[in-house]
Amino acid sequence: MRGRSLADDVREVARGWRWTRRPLTPRSAEAWAPRPEPREFPTDWARTRVAKATREAVLSYGFRPVIHVETEMAVDGLDHLDGVRTPVMFVANHASHMDTPLILCALPKAWRERTAVAAAADYFFDVWWRAASTALAFNTFPIERTGGARATDTARRLVGEGWSLVVYPEGTRSRDGWVGRFRHGAARLALEFGIPVVPIALRGTFAAMPRGRSWPVKGRLPVSVRFGPALQAEPGEDFRSFSRRIQQAMGRLWDEDATDWFRSLRHQAEGTTPSLAGPPAPRWRRMWESSRPLPRRGPERVWPR
Amino acid sequence: MGRPGFVLEVDERTPPLLVHAGEGFGVQRFPLGTKVIYPPDSLPGIRDVNAAIQDALLHPIASDPLPELLHPGMRLTIAFDDISLPLPPMQTPDIRGRVIEHVLELAARAGVDDVRLIVANSLHRRMTPAEIKRAVGERVFRSFYPDALTNHDAEDSANLIHLGVTEQGEDVEINRRAAESDLLVYANINLVAMDGGHKSVPVGLGSYRSLRHHHNVHTMLNSRSYMDPREGHSAIHDSCTRMGRLLSGHLRIFTIETTLNNDTFPSPFEFMNKREWEWSFKDQASYLAAKRANERAPGRMRREVFRRVAAPYGVTGVTAGDTETVHQRTLATLHRQQLTEVNGQSDILVVGLPYICPYNVNSIMNPILVQCLGLGYLFNMYVNKPVVRPGGVMILHHPVPWEFHQVHHPSYIDFFDEVLAETTDPAAIEAKYEAQYAQDPWYVHLYRNSYAYHGVHPFYMWYWGAHAMEYLRDVIFVGADRKAVGRMGFRTASTFADALEMASETVGRSPSVTYLHTPPLTLAEVR
Repeated sequence: MRGRSLADDVREVARGWRWTRRPLTPRSAEAWAPRPEPREFPTDWARTRVAKATREAVLSYGFRPVIHVETEMAVDGLDHLDGVRTPVMFVANHASHMDTPLILCALPKAWRERTAVAAAADYFFDVWWRAASTALAFNTFPIERTGGARATDTARRLVGEGWSLVVYPEGTRSRDGWVGRFRHGAARLALEFGIPVVPIALRGTFAAMPRGRSWPVKGRLPVSVRFGPALQAEPGEDFRSFSRRIQQAMGRLWDEDATDWFRSLRHQAEGTTPSLAGPPAPRWRRMWESSRPLPRRGPERVWPR
Repeated sequence: MGRPGFVLEVDERTPPLLVHAGEGFGVQRFPLGTKVIYPPDSLPGIRDVNAAIQDALLHPIASDPLPELLHPGMRLTIAFDDISLPLPPMQTPDIRGRVIEHVLELAARAGVDDVRLIVANSLHRRMTPAEIKRAVGERVFRSFYPDALTNHDAEDSANLIHLGVTEQGEDVEINRRAAESDLLVYANINLVAMDGGHKSVPVGLGSYRSLRHHHNVHTMLNSRSYMDPREGHSAIHDSCTRMGRLLSGHLRIFTIETTLNNDTFPSPFEFMNKREWEWSFKDQASYLAAKRANERAPGRMRREVFRRVAAPYGVTGVTAGDTETVHQRTLATLHRQQLTEVNGQSDILVVGLPYICPYNVNSIMNPILVQCLGLGYLFNMYVNKPVVRPGGVMILHHPVPWEFHQVHHPSYIDFFDEVLAETTDPAAIEAKYEAQYAQDPWYVHLYRNSYAYHGVHPFYMWYWGAHAMEYLRDVIFVGADRKAVGRMGFRTASTFADALEMASETVGRSPSVTYLHTPPLTLAEVR
């Protein structure tokens, strides 16, 4: 152990304690791992004027060209944002790391500049460089997935300051491309502040960039971002019922994207809107279905690429 | 509620683990599958220690309250553990001083005039005035030193008294003042399971004539282990118990035992108290900075830095009353802090020896003390059966410098040069040399008038390791002085990997390995 250079020692510690990666607990010690202290990574700096300008540049000249080159992106329903009182809560399904840049790039600049994104504290805020880079690029703030009294403190503060939020009520990316169990945190928060909820249906992102990938698959697959009309809680409505309405609205949007607006309304009226949870079938069939690329919009290419 | 002790199984996620090596330390990668024994999390210290002491003295176990034992005109003697406890020395105020202050408060209130305080240093070196002052506190020191606060002198025949022999023919000879007092109060620090109980008075205030009955090779070979003082498990404790019971027929002893938690290292060495994968970035930086600074520092400065380490121990228990009953409760508290269950023995036991052992506080850890710490203390940190299987191998990390403290350890120098040069067999050494060293007038003079350990002390240190020497097939020191290790009959490896390679000659190519991660102190309960 003696007689080593400083560089050797630093290298050994950096490798042993995984400075550039997520720290790991030995398997046999996992049962005794202490619950991490609730310590929040500061993100207020990411909402300063300089950070905003940097983010706009990163999204406009970094993410947007990549999305357009690597996918066939379609954005619909932005007209629903006209006249909506801000701040709002954007609630979307979540299947891919692509979802957040898609939503932010789809939003008009005036909206994008005042929108923050809730990100899992344990995933995006575990090491400083990941926390700092996502906070800068997407204006993320940490939210505790395990719940607890302080889980939504920052979200509350941001809404109070007039920031619109992007929230994924499933709490994590889908494992099979279908929508998982909704948590009620978003509905609770919207009720508490009396702010409208704008549902967003994201389709095709699981096929274009599923879990485990850090870059879209080849082939410029279609992805769709569809905004729905804002929902406001009814007087006396509780968060469970509001949360259910949000899910139904998302289901209808999903159906609208798959069929058309009028047919989705008919399905809704008849109670035949397809379930967001996908078909009750074995895992491989669910995966098979959800990983099927969306049909391309517009005419077929005469000269294939 | 802290987490209990546990056994880690090294996997690919495990960072390199901290290993002590004398006045140095570093991190070491262990083979996959190595079992690593960690102690329970440090227990919370008692918030109001003074109230706990007060409560213990007023509501003792199986004894009258202390105020009822104190009356005008009586002879009161207070004895307390010496410099060998705790390790490292605790941050002031020392718990011994706090306990003694409370006892003296009650004695003053009861009108007791004849009070003597005695350091129960047995055959250890005398404590210096500064060391005594640190242990008992300024107020006690100023009131009693030097006339009524003294070191025990095990060679002052005029101040020793022979109280009889046990049913096994063991002489019981202790300090006369203590024996002739109306009440002897003993204040201890029970750092490990070996301490305390009947070992306090018969050993701490005993003489060579008395100690030779249990500090010998036969007793050591039959103490399995001496960290398990239950009757029938440790011959040394059984002997002490017989002596203690004989003593209790002659004098009244009021025992006050204290236990500490595992907060062993202060800032900036706090990372040494933690499990490695839980090191924060600050801990990692502290480790790197401390390791580099330590390696760069000249030897004397390094020693001085370690000498100044004072443990921020919290007090986990204060119990007073009848010696045996008190000790049962003390052991229960101690086990809560140190005991870790381990399943099965392994082929190889790995330990990292720290810079300190009971006999080199403010001194130098010479090769014999290194042997004692490794093969004596750490090998014996078990209950039921050793961590390593019979015929296994022990690998120890320590540089083992050929270095002795000229004032503290004069007989060690001769023992190392003369005795070990001829034989390393504890029984042969005991038969041929022990009496000669124990009675050597120069060593006796240095013990009584200088600050030297008794002439026989290096023998006892060698005997401490007798059980391990007999039990193990091979002992390998990593990164050690080859000559010093060779003199003791052990082997040296340059690196841990080399040591494992050498061990394979004895235990095969795929041995099971257990690393006893200590300090902080861990006692393995092997199933």
